[in-house]
Amino acid sequence: MVKFRIDGREVEAEPGTTLLKVAEREGIHIPTLCHNEWIEPYGACRVCTVEVARGRRRRLVTSCNYPADEGIEVFTDNERVRRTRALLLEMLLARCSEVPRIKELAAEYGIEKSRFGYDPKERCILCGLCTRMCNEVVKANVLSFAHRGVDRKVVTPLEREMCSDVCITCGACAHVCPTQAITIEDLRKRKGEVPEFFLGPTTAISIPFQQAVPKVPYIDPESCIHMQTGGCGTCAEVCEPEAIDYDMQDEVVELDVGQILVCTGYQLFDASQMAQYGYGKLDNVFSSLEFEQMLNSTGPTSGHVLTKNGKEPRAIGIIHCIGSRDEHHHRYCSRVCCMYALKFAHLVKDRTKAEVYQFYIDMRAFGKGFEEFYTRILDEGVNVIRGKAAEVVEATWGDGREGHLLVRCEDTLIGKFREIPLDMVVLCSALEPNADADKVANVFSLNMSPDGFFLERHPKLDPMGTMSDGIYIAGCCQGPKDIPDTVAQAQGAAARILALIAKGEVFLDPIRASIDEDRCGACKICNNLCPYTAITFDEEKNVSVVNETLCKGCGTCVAACPAGAITGSGFTDEQIFAEIDGILADAGDSA
Amino acid sequence: MPYRLHLMVCAGTGCVSNRSLEVRDALEAEVAKQGLAGEIEVITTGCNGFCGVGPILLVQPDNIFYQQVKASDVPFLVEEHLLKGRPVKKLMYTPPEAEEVIPKMRDIPFFGKQMLIALRNRGLIDPEKIEEYIARDGYRALAKALTSMTPRQVIEEVKASVLRGRGGGGFPTGMKWEVAVSTPADERYLICNCDEGDPGAFMDRSIVESDPHSVIEGMVIGAYAIGVHQGYIYVRHEYPLALKRFMLALEQAREHGLLGKDILGTGFDFDIEVHRGAGAFVCGEETALIASIEGKPGEARAKYVYPAVQGLNGKPTVINNVETWATIPVIIDRGAEAFAQIGNRSNGKGSTGTKVFSLVGKVNNTGLVEVPMGITLREIIYDIGGGIANGRKFKAVQTGGPSGGCLPEQMLDLSVDFDSLLEVGSMMGSGGMIVMDEDDCMVDVARYFVDFLQGESCGKCVPCREGLRHMARVLTDICAGRGKEGDIEMLEELGQTMLNTSLCALGGTAPNPVLSTLRYFRDEYEAHIRDRKCPAGICRELITYSIDPEACTGCAVCAKECPVKVITGEPKKVHTLDAARCIKCGVCYDVCKFNAIIRV
Repeated sequence: MVKFRIDGREVEAEPGTTLLKVAEREGIHIPTLCHNEWIEPYGACRVCTVEVARGRRRRLVTSCNYPADEGIEVFTDNERVRRTRALLLEMLLARCSEVPRIKELAAEYGIEKSRFGYDPKERCILCGLCTRMCNEVVKANVLSFAHRGVDRKVVTPLEREMCSDVCITCGACAHVCPTQAITIEDLRKRKGEVPEFFLGPTTAISIPFQQAVPKVPYIDPESCIHMQTGGCGTCAEVCEPEAIDYDMQDEVVELDVGQILVCTGYQLFDASQMAQYGYGKLDNVFSSLEFEQMLNSTGPTSGHVLTKNGKEPRAIGIIHCIGSRDEHHHRYCSRVCCMYALKFAHLVKDRTKAEVYQFYIDMRAFGKGFEEFYTRILDEGVNVIRGKAAEVVEATWGDGREGHLLVRCEDTLIGKFREIPLDMVVLCSALEPNADADKVANVFSLNMSPDGFFLERHPKLDPMGTMSDGIYIAGCCQGPKDIPDTVAQAQGAAARILALIAKGEVFLDPIRASIDEDRCGACKICNNLCPYTAITFDEEKNVSVVNETLCKGCGTCVAACPAGAITGSGFTDEQIFAEIDGILADAGDSA
Repeated sequence: MPYRLHLMVCAGTGCVSNRSLEVRDALEAEVAKQGLAGEIEVITTGCNGFCGVGPILLVQPDNIFYQQVKASDVPFLVEEHLLKGRPVKKLMYTPPEAEEVIPKMRDIPFFGKQMLIALRNRGLIDPEKIEEYIARDGYRALAKALTSMTPRQVIEEVKASVLRGRGGGGFPTGMKWEVAVSTPADERYLICNCDEGDPGAFMDRSIVESDPHSVIEGMVIGAYAIGVHQGYIYVRHEYPLALKRFMLALEQAREHGLLGKDILGTGFDFDIEVHRGAGAFVCGEETALIASIEGKPGEARAKYVYPAVQGLNGKPTVINNVETWATIPVIIDRGAEAFAQIGNRSNGKGSTGTKVFSLVGKVNNTGLVEVPMGITLREIIYDIGGGIANGRKFKAVQTGGPSGGCLPEQMLDLSVDFDSLLEVGSMMGSGGMIVMDEDDCMVDVARYFVDFLQGESCGKCVPCREGLRHMARVLTDICAGRGKEGDIEMLEELGQTMLNTSLCALGGTAPNPVLSTLRYFRDEYEAHIRDRKCPAGICRELITYSIDPEACTGCAVCAKECPVKVITGEPKKVHTLDAARCIKCGVCYDVCKFNAIIRV
């Protein structure tokens, strides 16, 4: 440890610690412009200058990189230091005359105007924070200085427009720039638009949503800088329990199970397929999930309802049946939209002073308390128009109301066409099966109903079972339904599963097929035919084998086997002929 | 069979551009033609230093000095001197103001007063032949160091010589080596700084072109002392001949086992890589040079931790200038004490050894001189330099290049050494010495250097980049007649801050030309600002030309030469000059034989 004095105070520090660090520790403020704790000190701005006395020798040094030494005396704010900083800031002010940070720092030292010139346009103070961040921390090596002296500037390779191919748009440079010479909007514009709201994580590491299980952060490999360039690694550095392991890989786990419950959910209909509603083209047209995210207090607007320009809308329109009850898209009704649309209306009325318009065909308020809620919404003054909206367009009115949206519809109750001006439109998009539903169906041998959802065993008496024993479905993968119904279905399926596990043994129908090993020709036709995937092929014995538990005795394989090796128990040829003989036995006498 | 005469043709850059190689070819042809090829050898040597009178031819062993030799002079010269034994007077050197020629080189004051240590072999050997270097005791010091001295002893010898860096910094060389050795590290480096950037300076170029092995020998000795196995030579891009001579010399040294693996069979390994600069003055600064070798842009770094502790790739690195390296073999060969006797060091003050200066400007004898420390400016400028040319009066001498200052007449008896120059507001620098007369404007000189530095600043730190920009603007304004009250004070204020807060010596010494001219020639600044006049007649906007009616003879030469035809008059009658349209080009002033053009 070395002992020295700073502003009259006795302090000590590890030899080599910079004066700036010691000052910070002691609560002494020294202004800096080109300094950042994550990056090596640079010494370019010279604003952190302090005076150091060593014996009789006094000199001005930069505190950001001057190492503490035994017996020195440091002055961070005496007359000489202040005068020096004032001149340096006056020089900077001449270069960047309208940058707020420079103006306020210069004013602190009594400089309101610079004798050396005035440039209202220049924003970059050549502090090098962006280049060093990019090269030392992120290690993307995109930014560098070029040219000398007063021509010095920050450039990308070959001086291409700000975002070259190697830039990964991490935004670190914009984050660290003290004068907003680089901004995130700048980067976004040149790299490509980022959608307003999106349902994925907003940073490379984030907790997916507040109700996530387990509630731990997740790293998105596509946007994580460390996984792209090997740099950064800040999260692992700050994590005290050292819980971050970048080398974690997905594990493939194989489990032996007896029963499977498939609840893969739904996806939202992409309303950009219906161009007339302007989704994806017009500003302020949102899908229901996006609006839900906006309303959520952990969402992008912290729960405020705002249009793209940050203002509260004066009127919102909610359009029902987008993609549902539609000959061109989905003929079924998505069941949940009417109620959440009413919920949206209620929340908007609650949080804003906006007018709300509902454009519906029928109001499906089927559940417990649902009709009462609808009546309440009507009482709250929501404008409910019976007539599906035909299109959403942008208004082009002359008196400064550009950017508004117009919804055109037929109000069937009054028999007129209407054009309603709104600031925001919410589309109640249909619930549809996941895009990969057919692949999932293949894996679990599930059938699908014509609308693409998984087929239940019986629409009334067995909505959770499937044709395959031991495989159940629950939730929206079986058909659109709301939360209470999903929970009910899931609990039912779980109960069925538990019942079987608790019983420990299964009762089987005695009617089933069996394969004669001596006659089986190993053609494997029966394997693919069985609707219950009850037949597998035994490689060792070179014969097909029927799983008696799964077999339902439908007889398809019996008929199909070219070698006649399969018999259904109780339905062998001899037995059938015997039965026919038996039936015709009485008839034989009278003929 | 020994030759009876050697004809040493100077092939330094200056003489080569004056066609000395044609002289060599003519000599070889003529000598052969006259059947003298067996008795007379023609050799090309490095720079002799008297560049103002090149191409130079030295006839040895007679020491006859011929100057301004042309290829067409050769046949006469060969016949007269080489065949008939009559040296040719018209090609010999006549000092200014003198009647008689001085045939022998050692009698010529320009040479006689010099003491050659770094330049010990100049003009005497062919720099492209290692054997000639060795014949003049070359590499003897290396052999002595490697075989009979320990590395520690070598360092002690260099410390005892009190040798200080010849590149401008003047840091004690032995101490620098000591720091590098005592910093614990697994690897150390050694660099030769040949990025001579000062305008008008050519000391290092000359040493390398005339005697590259002296530098290499010094580096190998240094490597042995410090424990280095990889060295670098950083040659500025604009020195192609120096680069060529270095590459050749390195090859030859390797072939002779003086460089590379197992040097002189002692098991010591050391090799040198050459790195070219790319046109940046700032890369002469050691931390920027190191950055450049590392492949980064040439930007200076803070020197609170010296390169000798943490330099190239973070390892202890010793950087020394060409002249410093060239001096090392002499210290080892003759001993530190003999070296320390040279110069003016006593009682802890003064400096040891010699210094090479490039003496240029308004003197009669311009060229490269090496003189012992302690010699006065007067001796250099008048005895060696032959005094001010064209009968003009001495005004100032600028030492140390863009980092140095201008010293007036009162300082002529100053003994030249590192500290004495610093005390009076200038510095030794790398050895540039520009002599000025009454026709040089000191404000313009300051403006020139500040302008140069503005273009060469790396731009990293605020005081240098912005300070130089504003200083240059103010000085340009003053020279153009736009100076205002308060400008001088602003220059002083900017200068002080730049001095104290610049990151490297470029910015730190940049105010010197301005501050020293303000100190000694403040009246010139005031004349420019208050009176809108340039006393030296250099700053165009501030001078007016007129015709003296008493002296004008009406010869009309000026009227004929005037490019804008503002001089009118009848033949044999006094002419008049229209000052309003005059563009101040000065041609009339130059051509008038009657001193009838008045310039104020």
